[in-house]
Amino acid sequence: MAERDEIQRFTMAERLIHWAVAITFVYLVLSGLALFYPSFYWLASVLGGGPVIRRWHPIVGVAMFVFLLGMYLQWRRDMKLDDLDRQWLRQVGKYIRHEEGVPESGRFNAGQKLLFKTMSLMGLLLLLSGIPLWFPLRFSRSLREWSILVHEIAALVAIGGLIAHIYMGTAVVRGSMRAMLTGWVSRAWARAHHPRWAREVERTP
Amino acid sequence: MPTVSLEVKAISAATTPAPGMKEAPRVAKLIDVSSCIGCKACEVACQEWNDLPPSVDRPFTGSYQTMPDLSWNFWQLIKFNEILRGDGRLEWTMTKYQCMHCADPGCLRACPAPGAIVQYANGIVDFVQENCIGCGYCITGCPFDVPRLNPQTGRVSKCTLCSDRVAAGLEPACIKACPTNCLSFGTKEKLLLIAHQRVEQLKERGFPNAGVYDPPGVGGTHVIYVLPHADRPEDYGLPKDPKVSWTLKLWKGPLKWLGHLIVFGGILGAFVHYLRFGPHRAREEDTGK
Ligand code: HEM
Ligand code: SF4
Ligand code: SF4
Repeated sequence: MAERDEIQRFTMAERLIHWAVAITFVYLVLSGLALFYPSFYWLASVLGGGPVIRRWHPIVGVAMFVFLLGMYLQWRRDMKLDDLDRQWLRQVGKYIRHEEGVPESGRFNAGQKLLFKTMSLMGLLLLLSGIPLWFPLRFSRSLREWSILVHEIAALVAIGGLIAHIYMGTAVVRGSMRAMLTGWVSRAWARAHHPRWAREVERTP
Repeated sequence: MPTVSLEVKAISAATTPAPGMKEAPRVAKLIDVSSCIGCKACEVACQEWNDLPPSVDRPFTGSYQTMPDLSWNFWQLIKFNEILRGDGRLEWTMTKYQCMHCADPGCLRACPAPGAIVQYANGIVDFVQENCIGCGYCITGCPFDVPRLNPQTGRVSKCTLCSDRVAAGLEPACIKACPTNCLSFGTKEKLLLIAHQRVEQLKERGFPNAGVYDPPGVGGTHVIYVLPHADRPEDYGLPKDPKVSWTLKLWKGPLKWLGHLIVFGGILGAFVHYLRFGPHRAREEDTGK
């Protein structure tokens, strides 16, 4: 591929897993919001009615957890925070304001890494707390009460993360949507957003 | 469902206030445990009036109790509790057990389905099965462990306090059937008076701890008891201090606001960030193509 001015950012498998997580997650957010907020209950009607989302939300939840586990396994090594990442986090304000002088990031920047870790943890919490809500008759009342709290807090954190993620991926970092859809980015994009990674890839053709 | 004739006071998962405007006399059922003889006429009347199919698949457990527990098709139960008193005497407390029709019903607070649970102005809490989605949150929300899920239909049911009969000016079926006047029905005001009179009688007869069970943790109930040993409601299978749990209050209160903050704050924040800083252009050559 030396001829092309393009480098591969995500393999087919990486993209498949990512979009499997994304689609299941969005379904879970919409159906979950319907179950959480009376004012969002109309989402239940759009998704087939209350009993239908009551049935499918937990099943899709398990599916999402499986995909998320796949995502965790495939990216876990790329997502370790190193010293430069910690510096990046200390200067996150500069990154947010698009100023110069932000430490160079590798394949993923520290923000992406934190998102990854947050989503993995929330996914686990959502699964664990979701099971007693799925089968209320098999678990004690106090466990169910705690589960509801954990489930909701974890969901809210994950939704907050998702909003930031979609915003960054679609609006702010132009070209990353193409990366996640086609797998390819320009060398210029790589150097601009992930310089350490770009150098690494260019060294090993 | 007699939603036409009964004023509605509260609706589960409602986004607007309930439509009820008129005040209605608050009704109640009084259960005087001291005069229950365990005949179970009330159980039969309940099954019959509500046309509930009997379950015949439960094992016999060597007890006088009809069933080990309530179920979706068995809404009230005489519990035959055997209590060993301090002086070595055995006491058999036969206690009717059903939905308490709480003034502050945890089930209704917990329910996410609009209109699946309603509370009428007269105090009756009723489940509207056609709106129920079978999530079971009411089971978690109820401090008395009353709602039961029908696995076939995925809907929850419980005692209605015969809302259909009450709407037509009749008393509940169990009251009608009771041969000893252990059960009575009327306005809560009047029944509280009768209950306290009965407690005085019991005190004179050697039950110094007799009292009325109308737990304040759920705002009082529309099913109240006269207990000969009111200091030990557990002996009758009743929770000592039932409350709407704090987790439920947190979940339906502050967490909702936190959620709004995250969802709308997040979207608004992203929008404002875009207006202020726009897309990221780290270098001149970054065109992204
Ligand atoms: C429908 C909504 C989503 C969209 C539009 C979206 C978009 C994207 C894009 C464009 C990238 C590539 C970023 C890059 O090249 O650096 C990406 C990466 C990623 N996505 Fe998503 N995504 C969505 C949902 C999700 C969900 C629900 C999760 C996890 C629960 C998730 C987790 C990740 C992770 C961990 C990465 C790699 C690191 C990062 O960019 O943060 N995504 N996503
Ligand atoms: S006893 Fe349980 S089911 Fe009955 S009104 Fe109270 S909370 Fe609801
Ligand atoms: S099971 Fe039905 S009545 Fe109970 S909380 Fe869920 S929707 Fe409401």
